[in-house]
Amino acid sequence: MSADLLRINSLKKSFYRSPSLQTKVLSDVSFSMKEGEIVGLIGASGAGKSTIGRIISGLETADSGEILFVGNELTKMKAKVRRQLAKDIQMVFQDPYEALSSRMKIHEIVAEPLHILQIEKGNLEQRTQLVKEALRSVNLEPDYYMNRYPHELSGGERQRVGLARAFVCKPKLILADEPTSMLDTSLRLDLIRLMKKMNEQEGTSYLFITHDIALTRDFCDRLIVLKNGEIVETGETLDVIMNPVHPYTKTLIEALFILENHGG
Amino acid sequence: MKHLAKVKNKIGQYILVIFVTLTINFALPRLAPGDPLLYFFGETTINELTAEQKQEALHSLGLGGSLWEQYWTYLKGVFTLDFGTSIKYGVAVTEVLAERIPWTLLLVGTALILSLVIGVSAGAYSAWNRGKKRDLTILTGMLTLESIPGFWIGMMFLSIFAVQLGWFPTFGAVSMVQDGTTWGYIKDVVSHAILPVLTITLATVGSNYLLTRSSMLESLGQDYMTVAEAKGIKKRALVFKHALRNALLPIYTHFTLSVGTLLGGAVVIETVYSYPGIGRLLYESVTARDFPMLQGVFLLVTMGVILANLIADLTYPLFDPRVRNRKEEKGEEITHA
Amino acid sequence: MRKTTKWIGLTGLVLFSAMLIFAIFGPMMIPYDAYKASGPPFQSPNLEHLLGTNDMGQDLLAELAVGARTSLFIGIASAILAVFIGGLIGVLAGYIGGRFETVVLRIIDIVLTLPFLPLMIVVAVYMGAGIFTLVFVITLVMWAGKARQIRAQTLSIKHTGPVLAAKTMGASHFYIFYKHIIPGVVPIFIPQFVTGVNAAILMESSLSFLGMGDPLTKSWGSILFYANSRSAFLTEAWMWWIIPPGVCIVIVVLAFSLMGYYLEERFNPRLGDYSVREKRKKQLVKTKEHHSSKGVLLSVESLTVAYPKSGDYRSVVDDISFAVKNGEVLGIVGESGSGKSTIATAIIQQLKRPAKESGEIYFEGNLVQHFDDEGLRQMRGKEIGYIAQAAMNALNPVIRIDKQLQEAIRAHYQLSAKVMDERVVEVLQKVGLDEKWRFAYPHELSGGMKQRVIIAMALINKPKLVIADEPTTGLDAIVQVEIVQLLRKLQKELGISMIYISHDLPSVLSVTDRLMIMKEGRKVDEGPSVELSKLSTNPYTRVLIDSIPTLYPKKETVEVSR
Repeated sequence: MSADLLRINSLKKSFYRSPSLQTKVLSDVSFSMKEGEIVGLIGASGAGKSTIGRIISGLETADSGEILFVGNELTKMKAKVRRQLAKDIQMVFQDPYEALSSRMKIHEIVAEPLHILQIEKGNLEQRTQLVKEALRSVNLEPDYYMNRYPHELSGGERQRVGLARAFVCKPKLILADEPTSMLDTSLRLDLIRLMKKMNEQEGTSYLFITHDIALTRDFCDRLIVLKNGEIVETGETLDVIMNPVHPYTKTLIEALFILENHGG
Repeated sequence: MKHLAKVKNKIGQYILVIFVTLTINFALPRLAPGDPLLYFFGETTINELTAEQKQEALHSLGLGGSLWEQYWTYLKGVFTLDFGTSIKYGVAVTEVLAERIPWTLLLVGTALILSLVIGVSAGAYSAWNRGKKRDLTILTGMLTLESIPGFWIGMMFLSIFAVQLGWFPTFGAVSMVQDGTTWGYIKDVVSHAILPVLTITLATVGSNYLLTRSSMLESLGQDYMTVAEAKGIKKRALVFKHALRNALLPIYTHFTLSVGTLLGGAVVIETVYSYPGIGRLLYESVTARDFPMLQGVFLLVTMGVILANLIADLTYPLFDPRVRNRKEEKGEEITHA
Repeated sequence: MRKTTKWIGLTGLVLFSAMLIFAIFGPMMIPYDAYKASGPPFQSPNLEHLLGTNDMGQDLLAELAVGARTSLFIGIASAILAVFIGGLIGVLAGYIGGRFETVVLRIIDIVLTLPFLPLMIVVAVYMGAGIFTLVFVITLVMWAGKARQIRAQTLSIKHTGPVLAAKTMGASHFYIFYKHIIPGVVPIFIPQFVTGVNAAILMESSLSFLGMGDPLTKSWGSILFYANSRSAFLTEAWMWWIIPPGVCIVIVVLAFSLMGYYLEERFNPRLGDYSVREKRKKQLVKTKEHHSSKGVLLSVESLTVAYPKSGDYRSVVDDISFAVKNGEVLGIVGESGSGKSTIATAIIQQLKRPAKESGEIYFEGNLVQHFDDEGLRQMRGKEIGYIAQAAMNALNPVIRIDKQLQEAIRAHYQLSAKVMDERVVEVLQKVGLDEKWRFAYPHELSGGMKQRVIIAMALINKPKLVIADEPTTGLDAIVQVEIVQLLRKLQKELGISMIYISHDLPSVLSVTDRLMIMKEGRKVDEGPSVELSKLSTNPYTRVLIDSIPTLYPKKETVEVSR
């Protein structure tokens, strides 16, 4: 918990639908994360939170701004060099039904990062060990799951496979883009607990992108609230929840409060 | 706004298409192997021509001078609607075209409307009864109809109804001998048009049917149908107002586009019935090696297609409010889900 | 449906195989040379010449068999070429994107706009008649359509999860291309090829019929060309000259259409699972009089709904019974696949075919399963309002809001236009929408506004019961709360009964009087909402309750006002 793991400096991004029609998604977003920290990125749909994740992961490019990952400036990096850093930044996607290739078996899916990053190249046994370990860490019994196809699994199981795939090369940072939103309520906390466990054991950091504040309470160290592409509030999780300052954050929390108290 | 911009964009494309067509027209006779005059005059005539005569012929065909000069003269001709003189008829190409266009429009226009009405009603009926025996019967019938080449339907009709039974004339658009009355003329035109119209209708009804059926099925499966049914509205309104109204969007586009395609597509059917339309003219120009005519027809048909496309683009918003966009788009949410 | 589809595909395959065998072995078996006169001209079929002879005394059957080779060769060769070229261009354009894609798309658009038959004729005239001219011109007009479709497929694969995931893992273009794009795109080459052969054979026959084919090689189209130009109609033998080649073309094209239809139904689920419900006959409706005296509005008795799955019927709703009293709000809670939405569609009798339903549903003491179509129609929308999921598609996209609302009134009452408009304005105000929005189309509204319209639509005829099926799914957190509060307010104001279906326990607890918990089609727990949430000992209920993430540490003594 010392040096900055990730530092974002005035990130800007617009989408152009046509030359005349421009939608600002991110206007000047800056924040940083420490090693081992779990940061929650909160906002309604359209707030731009997913875009931040996609820019950090390299799926999209920013219009301007810097992304420093352990001191390396990602945006100016050549594609080839940047790929090497992929080992340390992995992503978990929202839709467990869509994120896994239906043509690949579970062990192939989990081993894909190893394959792409050429980790333990040629050492099949070692790779299998890593895959098994990753599956165990998300409570999936390797012997049962390794040779199955995604369609044989439930949504919760699939999302755990997605998590195992992110864990397998022991990254420093995992970008989790609404990983729970398509899951049934009873499975959401399970997934969060698995992620928390990896954080405690391996020191993995998370940028947890979500619209569900309640989920962040026991999971995130810090919260960043995003509205219309701007950061409107940041702070320690409990501080933000108990004493929201910005009116938008207040509304978000009030909304939940109303439900939790059964409509008052 | 968005739609208009799209149309503007499309118009640019159409200009490009016209340009490409013109260039194809220009390039083909020049790219073709061998002496271009050979195509125009045939082997026997060409040997009898003197060198001077050849030169003159080349010039009169726009084949003299440098390529750029030729191209320039060619373009100038096109924009002044001067496609040259038809070799076969000895009159201006435009004159022959003007004479033939009405006949093709009569055939194709009537057939298109018939085919649309029949295809859409059968398609809607079939979709509503999906999986039942009547749906499968119509479907199989239409798939079979789709598989029959139009000219073959024409040949069969001609053999059976015109030659064997003698119910209809065997060729042309009007008889040589007229009784002089307007009513008699109309009757004559109609009796000549019935078989070709029927043939084009049968040859095109399948695609209208299949498109209607599949887009009806698509809208029948939508959530708004469930909601509409849950409102308790009557079956008729459910089918026509909700399902068919949405299904009509792709059908409308298909319809306007097929206007253009059919202008050229009528070539085989007009050939079978020796019907003096644009299509038959194309075929005659090919067999008579009447190249100025051929180019004129090809250009005309392309213009027809482009016009149909343009009409489709401009009128589409009347049918689909989603592209109408009275106001600027309001802050639509951008999600990556 | 599935069975017939398979059967259709099989028929196509059989027809094609038969034709293929005829093309391969026909010329070897028939003792005549198709290119030489082998008897007197214009013979009718006889033992020597099974189909007779043409004007030059050539055996028609032999011609047909030789023609089969040519026609099939041209059809298949051009389809392969078109799919290959179009596929290559389409995949590259889709994957590379950017300016390259724009240029390719432009070219494709231009090619597709050109009138294809005249284009083919014009090109063929200059190239000279021949088999390869035919293959060339057919490929020329066909590759563009294939390229467009394959590009679209490539594009959609490019944005799917596995490809994005591989990218974030640092995969190279080469890796993504051969591991994800190619395996994803190649399967659609097959249906593209099938429809391609289909079109190519028709084009070949038309072109040959116009004399664009090789004058020295026989194909089905060119046989017809000669039949036409030598006025076969005027002879006795026309039938034997014209019908067989036509039938051959129809058989092959139909074969490919049928196979194409099969592939389409199998790999393109676009057409959905709609199929029409059986018509219901009028019959005496069974009643339970005592319901009304006890204030029971709706009673569901051992309802079971099953759908076929791998040859067997699987119950999605299994022996469910419950009742809703006047003015009561019942919550049905369960996770995805628990069958809760199926109950909703069963009550309004809109189950998707081929559902198998048993058990009894009484509304106001009448057995709804006995209602005829008209009876059901009058119940829907008038007695029972249905609030669909907040999906993007619940409103008809091409009909104005006020028209959709008026339609709901007109289905049950005859009112003047003015009165109806007043009613529309009133109900829109009730759901918190400005009256000006009645002139809007659905796409002009936000998700939350659309959901308000759906609620207005369900309430417009003041029904006795409202079924709200996951009314907040897909909406933003703040909007969700607004919708839940609106429903609560309206329910109290109008005193209607409601069934509130959701997987979101907190919102259900805030709205309902009573709760039913479902799991895998069965009822696992039931009781008053507050008690159930605090006191239930059912393990599954506890899991659901305990897994609700909360903002504040759980206090055992939550103040409850309901």
